[in-house]
Amino acid sequence: MEKPYKLTDELNLLDATTTRLYHDDFDDLVLEVEGRDPERGILVVRCFPISAGDRFIALHTCKEKELGILEDLSALDPDSRNALANALARAYFRPQITAVYAITEEHHIPRWQVDTDRGPRTFEIRSSRRDIRVLSQGRVLIRDADGNQYEIPNYRRLDVDSRALVEDQV
Amino acid sequence: MSEANTDTDPIIPLATDLPPEALALLPAEETIRLSISTDIKLDGLYGSAWLLATDQRLLAFSPDDGGPPDIVDLALAEVESLEIQDLYGSGALKARTKTTGQTIALFSKTLNAKFAPLPEALEKLVRQARPIDDDENILRGRLDRAYLKRRCERCGQVIPRRMGVCPSCLESSKLLNRFLAYSLPYWPLAVTSLAILLVGTFIGLTPPLLLRTLIDDVLSPAATGAANAISLPLLGPTSASGALAYLVLGLLLINVSRNILGAVRSYLLARLGEQITFDMRRQVYRHLHRLSLNFYNDRDTGRIMASVTHDVGRLQDFLSDGLQETIRNILTILIICSLLFYLNAGLAIYVLLPTPLIVLATIHFGKRLHRIYTPLWRRWAGISAILADVIPGVRVVKAFAQEHREVDKFESRSKDLLQGELRAARTRSLFSPLMSFLTSLGTLIIWWVGGNKVLGQSMSLGEFVAFTGYMWQFYGPVESLCRLNHRFQRAATSAERVFEVLDSQPDVDDAPDAKQLPSINGHVEFRNVSFAYEPGKPVIENLSFTVEPGEMIGLAGHSGAGKSTLINLICRFYEIDEGSILVDGHDIREVQLRSLRDQVGVVLQEPFLFNGSVADNIAYGKPEASLNEIIAAAMAANAHDFICGLPDGYDSIVGERAVRLSGGERQRLSIARAILRNPRVLILDEATASMDTETEAQIQEALARLVKGRTTFAIAHRLSTLRNADRLFIIEKGRLEEMGTHDELVALDGIYARLVHMQTEMGRIRAL
Repeated sequence: MEKPYKLTDELNLLDATTTRLYHDDFDDLVLEVEGRDPERGILVVRCFPISAGDRFIALHTCKEKELGILEDLSALDPDSRNALANALARAYFRPQITAVYAITEEHHIPRWQVDTDRGPRTFEIRSSRRDIRVLSQGRVLIRDADGNQYEIPNYRRLDVDSRALVEDQV
Repeated sequence: MSEANTDTDPIIPLATDLPPEALALLPAEETIRLSISTDIKLDGLYGSAWLLATDQRLLAFSPDDGGPPDIVDLALAEVESLEIQDLYGSGALKARTKTTGQTIALFSKTLNAKFAPLPEALEKLVRQARPIDDDENILRGRLDRAYLKRRCERCGQVIPRRMGVCPSCLESSKLLNRFLAYSLPYWPLAVTSLAILLVGTFIGLTPPLLLRTLIDDVLSPAATGAANAISLPLLGPTSASGALAYLVLGLLLINVSRNILGAVRSYLLARLGEQITFDMRRQVYRHLHRLSLNFYNDRDTGRIMASVTHDVGRLQDFLSDGLQETIRNILTILIICSLLFYLNAGLAIYVLLPTPLIVLATIHFGKRLHRIYTPLWRRWAGISAILADVIPGVRVVKAFAQEHREVDKFESRSKDLLQGELRAARTRSLFSPLMSFLTSLGTLIIWWVGGNKVLGQSMSLGEFVAFTGYMWQFYGPVESLCRLNHRFQRAATSAERVFEVLDSQPDVDDAPDAKQLPSINGHVEFRNVSFAYEPGKPVIENLSFTVEPGEMIGLAGHSGAGKSTLINLICRFYEIDEGSILVDGHDIREVQLRSLRDQVGVVLQEPFLFNGSVADNIAYGKPEASLNEIIAAAMAANAHDFICGLPDGYDSIVGERAVRLSGGERQRLSIARAILRNPRVLILDEATASMDTETEAQIQEALARLVKGRTTFAIAHRLSTLRNADRLFIIEKGRLEEMGTHDELVALDGIYARLVHMQTEMGRIRAL
């Protein structure tokens, strides 16, 4: 008898217990799955870069063919987990804003002077309405005029001055 | 170590801030050929790092606050490949040798434009450094340079999303001057209105003076039984009652003339404003139609529409209302000030005392209101966005039973808005009591100081009363001048946007010596044509072909291959970057646009019908067509039968808000529209893509009639549509990959054969 159709069978999930990831001498990410040839130059893609950054990581070849999806980082062996975390950190550069010093507006272009976990930074935003995304629990995602990304984990937890500045913008 | 010599690649200017520690790492005999600074260090923190290339080596130098700097030192001759990786929030440059690979630079997207030419420049250096020059390609990834558009090319300032022109390169005062220049043709009107404004303002300020005369020269003497004979200007000595009648008459005259002048003034100024905005609106709309499609692609439609309606309207408001109020206020303040000083200089100074307070308070509140209102407007916009999103999608909402969720979403936004509005209301309700208190401060001072003066006989009662009257008229204009800045700024922004449209130059325009394209046979030739919508991302690459008159060409290929772009180029909607397109031997850039497009007919996938009757829509391209021709065209397009079935036949109104026609019916109308024009070159862009089989058959039949004897370019995904084509062009990534008849291409067993195979499979699935 034919098995009843299961929607989740469509997922191309990789078994974390038989999957190994590491960086080779070229600093390229390599994927080894039991029973398959190792694939080099793996690109990592977060399926949910905003809502679930550490789950559902799609692994692509450099020709953008998907090899499979890892549902849970934590199920990997520690070395592979490290390698994957490094690859993700490199591919997704989104500093977290820790303080906002000033927001000055000129010609309707707000210029933010902030401190981030990666150091101080000044950037401009083209349109507050489109380029600032306020998510639940005060989380704010910002895209600047050049396409750089920033994140405020919870603007209500910033210091009073920063908070007032952000509140005017969101 | 010497500075860069002249044969250094000039694409990238040398970084000027190279740290001495980095320079110390280079052997003295090597010359720096290239240097670039980045804004992200190799450890992933923000900060300056540098990449240097001499003719021997590639050196990455990245300082580290805590320890020794990160250094990558590679011999150029060993570099096998260079790769730019465009990452999610940054970019990286990776270099590989035979045995290793390393990231040599990280940079934020802000520097994309700066880094884009880097791999090419480095590749050149690597080639020079290698002992044997092989033809191997070193570059792997490249950055497109489209990011440049977001910043002004002159000053680097970010260009607002809805604007498209750098705001800091526009100067406000120049803007206003330019705007006022529109009133030049109407200078007699402008001068007259200004003169009337001047006289009217002056007359309007005389009643308190009359009041003073009334009290001091007529009433007080009578009350105290003093002198009987009163001497008034223009009248000579007269009795008290005569003087009273004279003053009442004067006040009457003043009131009558003031109101008449006011009426005339407001009409004249309104007329001036209307005339200027009429001119402007006309000019903007005309200009919009001159602009090429590129202009429309870069901006959203709403923004463009707002320029014509909203921004022009705001300018009119400023001109007919704001500007005249400003002039009147300034005049009033000047006249009152001089009158007050003329009446009693000592007291006048006291009147001016609360003025700075009023100015400060107005400015302060203005700023505060602005700060409150800006987020409020944003919230309003959010609410409109929800409406614009959900109302058109109401079928989906109902189908998935999500009404509750939509209502909740709306309510939570609405609540935010309510809170914002309440905050604004609090500030606003504080404002007017405070202002009236400040104004009453002036009255208090005058009552006290002026009253004392009257008691001390150093000021007459009439002067006191006149003073109080003027003072009441004084603070209003002061207050409104303080708010002028905001108004001025709004008008300047609007002017900016309007001039932005007017200043945009069409990319595609007639050359000054453009000739009329004579009647053509339909010979079309592409010679090495290349084209890109955005620099660095070519859509059409080095395309060459010749099409004979009357030939039907089927264009096939994957979506995004460049098929639609190709036909856009034939219509010259965009200007090609390289090569030339010839129609009957004429370069299309050398003929008048109009004469070219007059002879090209287009049927698009989604036919657009304008509001108007069926007949109007068919005759859109040839308004002078006779009714015979219109019916004939409709018949040729297989549209006649369904048109006659409409309640008003050819007079039925179609378009956005009228009779709903099906896709096939609309398509047949647009075919009739094309047939009526009798074009020599015909373009069918997916004309039958969204039709069912029967409708498609009807349309195919109509098209077969339409293409006869004309050069035709037809795009279709469904390859069966192209079975009548003389030749098929298979476009792949902007190149002409295959060319020939159906049979030839199937025999070739290439892309086309694969597509045909896939579609027959699909056909089989459908047939099941």
